[in-house]
Amino acid sequence: MAKKKTFVEDIERTLYDIKDADNSAYKSESGLTEDIIRDISARKHDPQWMLEFRLKSLETYNKIGLPTWGPSLADLDMDKIVTYVQPDAKMTGNWKDVPEDIKDTFDRLGIPEAEQTSLGGVGAQYDSEVVYHSIQEDMVKQGVIYTDMETAIREHEDIVKEYFMKLVPPKDHKFAALHGAVWSGGSFVYVPAGVQVKMPLQSYFRLNAAGAGQFEHTLIIVEPGASLHFIEGCSAPKYNVTNLHAGCVELYVKEGARLRYSTIENWSRNMMNLNTKRALVEKDGIIEWVSGSFGSHVSCLYPCSILHGERARCEFTGVTFASKGQDLDTGASVILTAPDTSANINTRTISKAGGKATYRSAVKVTKNARRAKCSVNCESLMLDNESRSDTLPVMDIEGADADVGHEAKIGRISDEAVFYLTCRGIDEDEARAMIVRGFVEPIAKELPLEYAVEMNNLVNIELEGTMG
Amino acid sequence: MDTNEIYSEIPMRTWRWLGVNEIKTPANIGDDIKKQEITVEAGQSDELVLEHRNGGQHETVVHVGAGAKLHLVLAQLVPTDAPNSSYTSRVTVDVADGGAFSYTGAELGGSTIASELTVNLTGKESTADVWSLYFGDGARLLDLNYIIRQAGKKTDANMQVRGTLMGTSTKNFRGTLDFLEGAKGSVGRENEEVMLLDEGVRNRSVPIMLSHEDDVDGHHAVAVGRMDEAKLFYLMSRGLDLEEAKSLVVEASLRPVIDRIPDAKLREEIDSYLKGRLANG
Repeated sequence: MAKKKTFVEDIERTLYDIKDADNSAYKSESGLTEDIIRDISARKHDPQWMLEFRLKSLETYNKIGLPTWGPSLADLDMDKIVTYVQPDAKMTGNWKDVPEDIKDTFDRLGIPEAEQTSLGGVGAQYDSEVVYHSIQEDMVKQGVIYTDMETAIREHEDIVKEYFMKLVPPKDHKFAALHGAVWSGGSFVYVPAGVQVKMPLQSYFRLNAAGAGQFEHTLIIVEPGASLHFIEGCSAPKYNVTNLHAGCVELYVKEGARLRYSTIENWSRNMMNLNTKRALVEKDGIIEWVSGSFGSHVSCLYPCSILHGERARCEFTGVTFASKGQDLDTGASVILTAPDTSANINTRTISKAGGKATYRSAVKVTKNARRAKCSVNCESLMLDNESRSDTLPVMDIEGADADVGHEAKIGRISDEAVFYLTCRGIDEDEARAMIVRGFVEPIAKELPLEYAVEMNNLVNIELEGTMG
Repeated sequence: MDTNEIYSEIPMRTWRWLGVNEIKTPANIGDDIKKQEITVEAGQSDELVLEHRNGGQHETVVHVGAGAKLHLVLAQLVPTDAPNSSYTSRVTVDVADGGAFSYTGAELGGSTIASELTVNLTGKESTADVWSLYFGDGARLLDLNYIIRQAGKKTDANMQVRGTLMGTSTKNFRGTLDFLEGAKGSVGRENEEVMLLDEGVRNRSVPIMLSHEDDVDGHHAVAVGRMDEAKLFYLMSRGLDLEEAKSLVVEASLRPVIDRIPDAKLREEIDSYLKGRLANG
């Protein structure tokens, strides 16, 4: 097999990098002012309480400073970010009604096809608004609600009002406050008690406009005894200006319920991905996170699970791949607050070509969490010495009853393993790729098949050229 | 030296809400710093036991020359009820080519303590073998920050820390292995084992591993938990009462560190100190 000599700069990312012409119907002014917030709110026909919420969040945003830890956010200039871009399309439940250029984008990403074969419902957001949303009829009959957030506010205002940004309050951090002020789009899912949603629901977020921000809000409520698998995908074409993603995900997993939340994030490398995800898990509930971070210039992403009820459980499986120009600061946090709660965090990070991958986690066990158990395993692979790989876990444990273990290792592909494979007729590039695929395999096997394939493709794309 | 800058930042700051980024200098500790410099010349070998029995600030600078060996023992036995029982210690070590630094630490006394150990493995094939124990009881506050920086090629670092917490004591332990660019062929291991004996304790563990070099092999692990009931059951089934059994289990967990202390009298003192504390706890 010929040796691949692709340079990192030449990586073929056509699928994700195709830009549509900017045919937006409306764009807010860049920057963040009260007038802009009022304008967004009016265009979205917010109820009064939501306008007040946005303005209060803006006030909070202006008071809170940037984090004093984590990657540099120096490239982010909020005065240059357009916080609201309305596509020239109305929300529809029929792909035929979606404008051709937007539909083509989602076609390339395989969303309509996946909808036919393996999904129970699909939401597609383009820039600041959801342009398509659908759900299978039998799920509707079971009482499952899956719609965009704007419709949810109109049709289920009481529920939204009860849960919206209660788990991630705007005062949490600067970008939660920003989200509270300018949020737009996203998905709302409500699964009634006892309903098992057999096919996954997927929302895909595509940011097309240069210099824009995407601030979608995902709110999922899984009532007692119900179960759901929700998939989130995101991508954007690359521009020479900074784009910003500051979404927010709030997950409520009630007694005995189960929620799996899978994400494959492949933002372009001009994106600042400052996303906040949090789950509240009640008695005997289970939250499972599967998280793949491949894109963006800077990422700060630490899905948090609050194990609030007895025997609540969290399983976190994550993989991060940082390449040239990327500073991906990812991990997880778990707060165990009730007896017999347990958590299992399992992550892999890979860094190459000057990329920086940081694993950061927090495990907090409160006094009330008698017999709580938590196990953390983190492995990091460095493909060259231009790159950086850091591991920063914190464990904060109160009381004498907890059982917490953390294990991490860092290193490179072993020469012995490459030698073993090349002795058996496999060329060196493929041998290294096989080892990397094996390294991320524990994560890949947790993904739905199509996403495992996508993740493997991403890993292959990234590896081309590194050994050429 | 400005006391405000003494203790003690980890090389990479992290979660603000968990309060682990810096140690607050104990109040009323005074500006007087007891300084000590230790140099082991190239090719020489030495063993030194330091006993810190008074509060206040201590600073120790250590140079281990090329091919030299040093075993430094630092036992902190500041009475917890003395008027000046706040204690800080900063030990900074440089190890040249082929040098071997071995450290045995015992953080046993003091009311509010902050202790930092920084080992710079600057030389090729230099090594650091760090073993330390801590014991927290009553309402004591322990803040420990150990850092091993591996800059030279083929360096070897080992950090083993054992701790026991009881009463309402609070402890932070930040242990960092930092592989700098160029530390090719280096190996680092870090392990902390913490035994929690009482409901009122608070334990924070921050095992950090930083790497700017791919040709390294780094591992770290932390285990935090209560006393193994199976061990207690085993000991009690052989006639020990609960307190004796607990004492034996704690002693066994700290024994690998205590046994490294060359001075038999000091070992006995530490044993009896721990027994007394456990009995009164």
